[in-house]
Amino acid sequence: MESRNLVYVLTGIAVALIVVIGGLVLLVSSGGDGDDDGSSGGNGDASPTLGARVEGELRIPGGDPITLDPACATDIESASYIIEIFSGLVGYDNNLELIPDIASEWDVSDDGTVYTFHLRTNVLFHDGSRRVASDDFKYSMERALNPDTASLVADVYLGDIVGVDEFISGDASEVSGIKAPNPDTLEITIEKASPVFLPKLTYPTAFVVDRNETEGSSCFDAGWTFSPNGTGPFELAEWDLGNAIILEPNPDYYLDPKPSLSKITFLLSGGSSFTMYQNDEIDITGVGKDNVESVRDATNELNAEYRFSTTLSVSYIGFNVNQEPFDDPEVRRALAMAIDKEFLTENLYKGLLDAADGILPPEMPGHNPDLQGIPYDPDAARDLLDDTGKRDLLEDVTILTSGQGAAPDDVLQAITAMWEQNLGLTITVEQEDFALLTQDINDGNFDMFSIGWIADYPDPQNFLEIKFHTDSSNNDVGYSNPEVDRLLDEANGDLSDEERFELYQEAEQIIVDDQPWIPLFFGTSSLLVKPHVQGYEAAPFAIPNLRYVSISD
Amino acid sequence: MSYVDATAPLQLAEPVRPRARVWSRLRRRPVAIAAIIVIVIIYGAGILAPILAPYGFSEADFANTHAGPSWSHPLGTDALGRDLLSRAIWSAQTTVIISVAAVTTGGLILGVSMGLLAGYLRGWADAIIMRAAEILGSVPTILLLLIITATLLGRIEGWAEDLEDLTGADWIVNSGAPSYFLIFGALSIFGWVGIARIVRSQVLALRESQYIVAARASGASTFRVIARHLLPNVSNLLIVAVTLSLGGAAGAEVGLTFLGIGVQDPHPSFGAMIFQGAGLTQVRQHPMLILVPSACVTSLILAFNLLGDQLTDVLSPRGR
Amino acid sequence: MPSGLASYIARRLLIVPFTLLVISFAAFSLGRYAPGDYVAAQAPPRANQETIDRIRHERGLDDPVYKQYVRYMGNLLQGDLGISQNPRGVPVEDVLLPRLWVTFQINALVLIFTWVIGIPLGTWAALKRGTWLDPFAIGVFLFLASIPVLVSVPLLEWVLIVKLKLLPTGGWSTAEYLGVELGVFSKHAVLPVLVLTISGVAGLARYMRAQVLEVLDQDHVRTARSKGLRGDVIVMRHVMRNALLPIVTIFGFELAGLIGGSIFVETLLGIPGVGQLSFQAVTTRDYDTIMAIVLLGSTIFVLAMLTVDIAYGFVDPRVRSGGSVQS
Repeated sequence: MESRNLVYVLTGIAVALIVVIGGLVLLVSSGGDGDDDGSSGGNGDASPTLGARVEGELRIPGGDPITLDPACATDIESASYIIEIFSGLVGYDNNLELIPDIASEWDVSDDGTVYTFHLRTNVLFHDGSRRVASDDFKYSMERALNPDTASLVADVYLGDIVGVDEFISGDASEVSGIKAPNPDTLEITIEKASPVFLPKLTYPTAFVVDRNETEGSSCFDAGWTFSPNGTGPFELAEWDLGNAIILEPNPDYYLDPKPSLSKITFLLSGGSSFTMYQNDEIDITGVGKDNVESVRDATNELNAEYRFSTTLSVSYIGFNVNQEPFDDPEVRRALAMAIDKEFLTENLYKGLLDAADGILPPEMPGHNPDLQGIPYDPDAARDLLDDTGKRDLLEDVTILTSGQGAAPDDVLQAITAMWEQNLGLTITVEQEDFALLTQDINDGNFDMFSIGWIADYPDPQNFLEIKFHTDSSNNDVGYSNPEVDRLLDEANGDLSDEERFELYQEAEQIIVDDQPWIPLFFGTSSLLVKPHVQGYEAAPFAIPNLRYVSISD
Repeated sequence: MSYVDATAPLQLAEPVRPRARVWSRLRRRPVAIAAIIVIVIIYGAGILAPILAPYGFSEADFANTHAGPSWSHPLGTDALGRDLLSRAIWSAQTTVIISVAAVTTGGLILGVSMGLLAGYLRGWADAIIMRAAEILGSVPTILLLLIITATLLGRIEGWAEDLEDLTGADWIVNSGAPSYFLIFGALSIFGWVGIARIVRSQVLALRESQYIVAARASGASTFRVIARHLLPNVSNLLIVAVTLSLGGAAGAEVGLTFLGIGVQDPHPSFGAMIFQGAGLTQVRQHPMLILVPSACVTSLILAFNLLGDQLTDVLSPRGR
Repeated sequence: MPSGLASYIARRLLIVPFTLLVISFAAFSLGRYAPGDYVAAQAPPRANQETIDRIRHERGLDDPVYKQYVRYMGNLLQGDLGISQNPRGVPVEDVLLPRLWVTFQINALVLIFTWVIGIPLGTWAALKRGTWLDPFAIGVFLFLASIPVLVSVPLLEWVLIVKLKLLPTGGWSTAEYLGVELGVFSKHAVLPVLVLTISGVAGLARYMRAQVLEVLDQDHVRTARSKGLRGDVIVMRHVMRNALLPIVTIFGFELAGLIGGSIFVETLLGIPGVGQLSFQAVTTRDYDTIMAIVLLGSTIFVLAMLTVDIAYGFVDPRVRSGGSVQS
């Protein structure tokens, strides 16, 4: 008996596998009919039961926002909902043009410090109770800046305004630079002229909110955000945590084109959106690197629905330029030369990423197509590194990145492998929580790090000055080049766009030669859009574009 | 998540069986032999990894990504051209290190001593130890492990760096020792509970038995009683418990690393391999990436469980 | 009731708040000891350091840990679980409860299936000792119990979702049944329930088999059998009663595991349950949510154990003089 036990045990194992799976098949296929009771309409039961698709409804996958309070939003996900529900003085359209929003027109004083906005008279809050007047804006901006509100970003976007410091420190009870002389006029005075002040006003911190529902609430009181009284093209019909966000068009919307969708449903619960798209449960989906090859194949019927565009973002590796051996630009250049960006974008990411040579993405106004980047040349890289004689200083170097999983993403693994193969360097990747990463970067506690940067507004200043000017608080690598500073300061003056762009391009070339960053990729957007969805264009950064979308049946 | 399975058969309150006879009985059981062979293969591969593995764990080969099985890569390669067979062998090394360290520290050292103390001394020692065991058993283990690793990894690395400065040994942090230490330490914190309970209940049952009473009556000291009389009786149970614990610890390490709170990259682990192979499209297009580590981990745990079962049968007199 | 029992119950009851206090303090301190906090986690790179520090100070995150703990416990005793950070500003219970409901549904179903299948299966396997079915069953049980969830989920995904296209690709959906939102009757629930049931049944059947065998081997049962009483009568009366007793302990464990156990399954399949939430909460340093989950899980476990202990106290007098049933 005992000697046959092994056979029986093994048979048992094998049969277990087969029986379990087979039994399952039977169970599920016979029980499948019962599942349709709950989900109504012909939707199939893979999506939340939110009713059958109504005419003119757009269904998109999404994530839970961290907040819907315009004064408090610090991430892209939250901002993308906020910009549809709320609005402000100025905005962007689908062509990246700054357009009037609630302010129909504005005058700027000769010295560029006083902006006088003339507000439309027909802008109503969603509940229709009253129109938006200038004191609503004064209230909203002061609320955003109020230390009690605890906004992490208000002072960054509104900090140019006169009187902000006194207000934040408590010396003043209002912001002196914001005046509401009459309901139709809002006057804002800033410390000194800036070509990017208006773009900063397109960010949610400058949006208007209803004082009746927000008075006294801080960023840590989100109750009112579940039924907000906004002014944007869409109203929030429901926010079902973890499940769905439903938007409905604002009938009183004041800009053209008015929203033509009857309903937008964001599906927040997980699942593969690619499969949901194939099952006709959603209308738009992203295409990941695992699917992009098959989608790009012209024989694939999905190919006709494929859209590819670039976004205004860049991912890069930053060096601690004030620390040995990264204070030597030759070392930085050698490391840059050893990275085969083509392999990463073509082979690893199947063309989903756009290799970056410079700082400004292709869609950014002022992008320089003739920029000279650092080429991939492993032999030259090796020689260069040897010439510096600092190879041994690179012994225990680490590169920080954000992440939680068992291994860092493929790109970083490939890059460290390239450094190993081409330069013989063993550089370790350290994953940290994003919170820790930003703290370490702020403290200068790093050798190298890998991170990305997305535009707030489509101006080169948002990349070049914010990240590379000596005095900028967001200059995370600690780069300081007086020539670059001079060019950036000059570009802030009263010049034409062309003149400014020339200056920025000059600065960018110097920066790229110095390589305080190794720019890796520009962001792209790879989508599938159903043919019945009209007017949808992927936004290069956070732009409210859903009012341009319609469904043709 | 005490990694001694609560459902394992526990009762062995009988006098000890001489070791030689145990082995000869075990040898005649093909299931046990098969299990032992599997364990030897995997653990052996792990121990011999530096000699055995043809490539390094992170050795990339960009010309050869997602390659199928071939002579140079018997199990194929992954997205970066890394040899799957080598990765599996190196991962086995991590499994060996962590499971042995965890079971030795948590199970054997901590668990046995706590169990012996609690069972033999009774009174307040027992009360404290059992309360601690209860408390440790009451928390949602994975969550606490998550918090612990998030909290302590940075600190432990800091201490390792201080140690490096003190001793001049500069390999400490880079070898991954801090994260290994943290994992088997954390596993030990929760892991000793099961073995301690087993040992304690055995001690409780045995301490009233004839020869213990006689030994104490003849004036033997506490230590002698424990060492000479209690330990041998408990050791049968321990063998089974250790076998099962090794399997449990291996599984725990894989899970923790998968979540990102275990062994950190670039140190090898089956958890990392599974992480990179999981995900629906990966499974669809490159099933080898997940099949290789899955097969290794499953067979190892299965082998330990089978062996534990067989040992229980052999060590109990009724021979179920 | 006998005085021994009363004091036993009283003793067991007193332990509960003490245990919870220790656990809460340990979890709280550990959480605060971790580098970073939720303010830093939310701050985008553009934020000014002074603003971050100011807000951190206002939220009381600068205070010494014991002070924050006292404040937290004070709020807790008034029923205030704190504020979630993801989404920010929502009371913790509003985020936690829907997730709890999802996890509970899955695990309750798993519990039912495990027991309904596992107990008879284990008993049957024990009765077949001596035949080829016994090692066969052992092989099956051990194999199923040995597969880590991490492995079984992708494999089942491959078979059921990719190859056979029977199931949706993860996520969760609900429908109304008699006015109650239930997700557990949809196809989304099949995979998580299946995975957890398989390992649950395997483990329980093994245990049950061992228990039944042990009872079968006991003297009084052998005697009864040798006297020629019919086999199944013996099984029913003696075996089941004695074998089931320790099983009650297991039930307590499984009940308690309703909260924490499914972190892998939820993460792998994108199911919005407590396991997924807890993982996310630790990453974003969502202190209040972490504490709520830890306390909830611990409380349920402790109460479950308490119930089991008291039940034993009624049934088995030996236990009353010793510690808890767990020893």
